[in-house]
Amino acid sequence: MQDIFIGFTSVFGSPDWWQPLLMYLVGGVLIWLAINKEYEPMLLLPIGFGAILVNLPLSIAGTPPAGSGYEAGFLQILYEMGIKTELFPLLIFIAVGAMIDFGPLFKNPFMIFFGAAAQFGIFATMIVATLLGFSLKEAASIGIIGAADGPTSIFVANIFAPELLGPISVAAYSYMSLVPLIQPPVIRALTTRKERRIHMVYHESSAPKWLKVIFPIAVTMIAGFVAPISVPLIGSLMFGNLIRESGVLERLSQAAQNELANLVTLLLGITIGCSMVAANFLTWKTLMIMGMGLVAFVFDTAGGILFAKLVNLFLPKERKVNPMIGACGISAFPMSGRIVQKMANDEEKGNIILMHAIGSNVSGQLGSVIAGGMVLALVPLFAK
Amino acid sequence: MDAFIQSLQYESDTIKALAVTAGGLVGVFVTLGVFFLVIQVSNKLSKKS
Repeated sequence: MQDIFIGFTSVFGSPDWWQPLLMYLVGGVLIWLAINKEYEPMLLLPIGFGAILVNLPLSIAGTPPAGSGYEAGFLQILYEMGIKTELFPLLIFIAVGAMIDFGPLFKNPFMIFFGAAAQFGIFATMIVATLLGFSLKEAASIGIIGAADGPTSIFVANIFAPELLGPISVAAYSYMSLVPLIQPPVIRALTTRKERRIHMVYHESSAPKWLKVIFPIAVTMIAGFVAPISVPLIGSLMFGNLIRESGVLERLSQAAQNELANLVTLLLGITIGCSMVAANFLTWKTLMIMGMGLVAFVFDTAGGILFAKLVNLFLPKERKVNPMIGACGISAFPMSGRIVQKMANDEEKGNIILMHAIGSNVSGQLGSVIAGGMVLALVPLFAK
Repeated sequence: MDAFIQSLQYESDTIKALAVTAGGLVGVFVTLGVFFLVIQVSNKLSKKS
């Protein structure tokens, strides 16, 4: 008779009976945010459902309790094959690479430096995390939320702090979806109205095709020599981009942008949800990680804007950059670029800085991957 | 360089994080700076041809 009610007794017979219930609530909130608020629904919905699945009695969908006699569940198998091997984030990067057009960057190459400056949040947050008592590897994994780039966050966290993968992924994707709420107040706080009304001249010219083909190859090779450990990340991103720009693999490019992106995103989300087991997730660390994720996004935005203001000190009046462009160096593509264009238009009707903003935004994609590679290369040197 | 890295291994995690920050930011700027040069040179070459 007891076996019939084992689902209830295994939960309510435990002193920690409230933990799975709270996780159902967390999963429900993520699903609600995905459906009602449309915050990154492609990821938050599967993550939320995965969080519910993995906390059901006996966790047959994930890792069954030791000695229960059950085999690893399908979520555990997906986790072992897709996350532990780092396959899912890399496949997502192939899809992302196939979606990126570096054209706006080729027309305004200087924008690339905003993609570097806006990685400041990664490092600033890492320092804050060590001050709060996290180890260097944990702090680096938390800081990388500031890459504003889900696959990079998952890739780094999986290597340095796999036990924190759940909260880090949730924080990364949640704040990426909240960029329209996070960035505007920071931009307004750090810029004057006059600065936000600066116009930028855009020269319409198309980059030669050979540059578009050579660029992904050159970037991969340079990154490979500077930070060899970043090759899987940058290599898969640039492979996707090469497929797109080659002009002879249209079917593969479309497959990467659509079928591959959709299928891997579907499995990635629910598999990350599998890492949100109550005992691991319901800790103070999770709350601190959520807080520091916000810090990372704020510092990223501030880093890009302040760098733009620094550059303006040395530029003649007619060539000054609109410092809001710096905020687009965050890698939340293309959301950040659109927000900045909207803000520029709100300040002064007809102020078009979209192409510069997108140039800065695609640079952020490069910057975040390189920053991830730097963190992967440098942290093990000191964390021995 | 090795001696510098070894000396930092006995420091607190925050000092190590500062070292990673310095190295990481320089690394990101230098790497993207090289990408910038690649684009600039390519743009110049394409204008000449």
